[in-house]
Amino acid sequence: MKAKAFNPQIFLEILCYSVFAALMLYLVSSGKYLSYVTPRMEPYLYFTATVMGIWAFAGLARLFRPQHKIRSAHCFVLAIPILLLLLPHSPMKTSNLAGNYVGGNTFSGITGQSAVENDPAQEELIPEDSADIQTDVPEDEYSADLPGLDAANKKITVSNDDFGLWLSEIYMNMEKYKGYTVVMTGFVFKNPEMLREDEFVPARLMMSCCVADLAPVGLLCKYDKASELKADSWITVEGTLFMGKYEYDGVEYDDPQISVTKIIPAEEVEGYVYP
Amino acid sequence: MEIPIYVVTGFLDAGKTTFLNNLLNGKDWRDIKILVVQFETGEEEFQSRYDNCHSLAFPKKLLERQPKEILGRIRSFIQSGELDEIWIEWNGVVPFSELQALLLAPSLRSLCRIQKVIHIADGANIENLIGRTGGALPEQISNCDFAVVRNTYSAAAYSRVRRLMRGINSGVDIVNIHETKAYNDIYKQLFGKKEHPVSLFFLTAALIAVLHFAAGPVLETLQIPVNTVINIFLGILLQAVPFLLIGVMLSSAIQIFIPREWIERRFPKSLGPGMAVAILGGFCLPVCDCASVPVFRSLVKKGIPLPVAVTFLTVTPVINPVVILSTYYAFSGNMTVVIRRVCFGIISSVIIGVIIGIWPPKSQILSGGALDRLMCSCGCYEDAESITTFKGKAGLLIRHSQSEFFNVGKYLVIGTFISSIFQTMGTGIFTSARNGAGLAISIVIMMTMAFVLSLCSSSDAVIARSFANQFPMGAIMGFLVFGPMMDIKNVMMLSAGFSKRFIGKLLFTAFTVCFAVVFLLSGLGGMKI
Repeated sequence: MKAKAFNPQIFLEILCYSVFAALMLYLVSSGKYLSYVTPRMEPYLYFTATVMGIWAFAGLARLFRPQHKIRSAHCFVLAIPILLLLLPHSPMKTSNLAGNYVGGNTFSGITGQSAVENDPAQEELIPEDSADIQTDVPEDEYSADLPGLDAANKKITVSNDDFGLWLSEIYMNMEKYKGYTVVMTGFVFKNPEMLREDEFVPARLMMSCCVADLAPVGLLCKYDKASELKADSWITVEGTLFMGKYEYDGVEYDDPQISVTKIIPAEEVEGYVYP
Repeated sequence: MEIPIYVVTGFLDAGKTTFLNNLLNGKDWRDIKILVVQFETGEEEFQSRYDNCHSLAFPKKLLERQPKEILGRIRSFIQSGELDEIWIEWNGVVPFSELQALLLAPSLRSLCRIQKVIHIADGANIENLIGRTGGALPEQISNCDFAVVRNTYSAAAYSRVRRLMRGINSGVDIVNIHETKAYNDIYKQLFGKKEHPVSLFFLTAALIAVLHFAAGPVLETLQIPVNTVINIFLGILLQAVPFLLIGVMLSSAIQIFIPREWIERRFPKSLGPGMAVAILGGFCLPVCDCASVPVFRSLVKKGIPLPVAVTFLTVTPVINPVVILSTYYAFSGNMTVVIRRVCFGIISSVIIGVIIGIWPPKSQILSGGALDRLMCSCGCYEDAESITTFKGKAGLLIRHSQSEFFNVGKYLVIGTFISSIFQTMGTGIFTSARNGAGLAISIVIMMTMAFVLSLCSSSDAVIARSFANQFPMGAIMGFLVFGPMMDIKNVMMLSAGFSKRFIGKLLFTAFTVCFAVVFLLSGLGGMKI
């Protein structure tokens, strides 16, 4: 007899809530959410999953309370995102953007990186144990804890995961790293409006809030044969850090730049940089 | 076999009995054995011409005190005679859900089922009745399959009534009884088969999936970057949904836990202190613009003066701590920008509030009309203040926030979709329009861009910064101040609850005020980063 009193609308709602909640949990636990939003959103996505879970649970009480008028269109609010998340699509790549950055093809994403100084989110990127070591270890030794830093040989090998970390580290301590050799991987970013013939940026895409605001970031490189580099191709750059100047709004700013010594083609790097 | 039940609802004197008399005494019903059950005795009596109708009448008192007896009598009638149809004239002041509960009682459930529900409305006075006569009437309207309207002799009156009805039961079919083919339409509605909504849902979902596979690659080859649109859409949505959830929870909590009288007694009556409270509230609510829209709506419903509520709506996304922090970081700790953004935001929203106060909207601003002020539009028509237990209120909170989520969410989805298309097209058209333009034009360009891009207010500072070397600081300020207040996403979400006219007025006021404030003040300051 129970089946007769079944309420299909509530069933549909419960279905949507549960699938949406499950998808949120899946996106967070698999790290796939990073293709859409920044790590800062993680607690909010957990919150969403929790609320949806509670809603689904609360709906159970009404599942066997039938109603004459059944509606279903409203469920598309959840169904459309669910469908789009499930249907195959690839994460955004530099080629997708084809220069159409929201930032209006400006150089700013790169200079904007200096904005990240003191960013609390940035500090979280530094391994937690470093704070403990800091107290009794001399300054130089401490910085040896930065991944890829070879202080003895004045060389920094920036791994793909530490791109953002190193970018802000170099911006914060420009003086300290002057003369260091840097190895980093990025795609060739050229922009005739902002960059000269002999300049390019081995850039990565930075997401400051969500995938809608992807913008290239990186260190400016001086390279005589820059014009020979194919835009958007992936390369590993090796070069020496020096203090360049970057003019902005009539004022010149110090800007760490790389004088390139070696360029080798590289594999495309998945994922984005988060401030 | 289950006997089909046709239910006629409508307020007292709406013309339910007349309708039954006209319909059931028609030729088509002559050979059909009908039981007419009346839960109301109006001025007109039901009279059967062909002697094929039996009728039962139950007064409202009996319904309240002895529903079991009613059940028993209907049941024995069904079992004794060979009935083809049951027609029920339901009482105008009792919610439809009570009839539903009655007919779903275990003793009746297997014998009959509701086939169609028809709502009869007297077009001449329905507008006055709604909102003044409690929750039963809108509940009946929202549950009907189609409505029959009488007494509307002008096209304008008819379209008003239709708008009202559709505001409560979206997309419902309405028949004007005075049209010549009215009875044809009624027959069609009564006996027409409609696809089950749930199967329609799955059908549409499958269609979307098929479309994705079939049309997606085709569009991609035509240089239309579907993949990019989907990514941006999902990005903005994943960003917005949690905040929308916070917003609907907050606004539902206001609706349910804060009694109207309390606000009327405690909230500052005069504009000045009211605005101060709004600004303080905006500062204390660390959410982005997606959350402030539902809260704004519930504040208006609860009777907060409109200028104050508007100030709250416009100031919250500009001055909340998250936004202040993100602006600080985006502009490399440049305090001038932060202070100016906050000050311009406060000044603009206060002026917008004052303007709305001086020239108040003449017509209803809530799209549900008077109805919305009385109760929520969520389909749960129980009065929030009549439920006293915490458990009951918590249940209501959940249902209320769910329906508000769907209500506002649908516009969020549409708005996000539009703005993701704009974002995919790139901002080139804006930046190229900038060439050679003066400060005023630049400000307008940046404000339009902020409107179109619909960025989350906690992230737009980074984007604004990226335009800093193409646009003067004043224009950047326009982007930073106007963007969070109004954008495509917000306007769409507002239209879930407010009349188009009011939204248009608000948008125009906000745009003009922000422009004036930014233009005049940045001219004075001569600002530079």
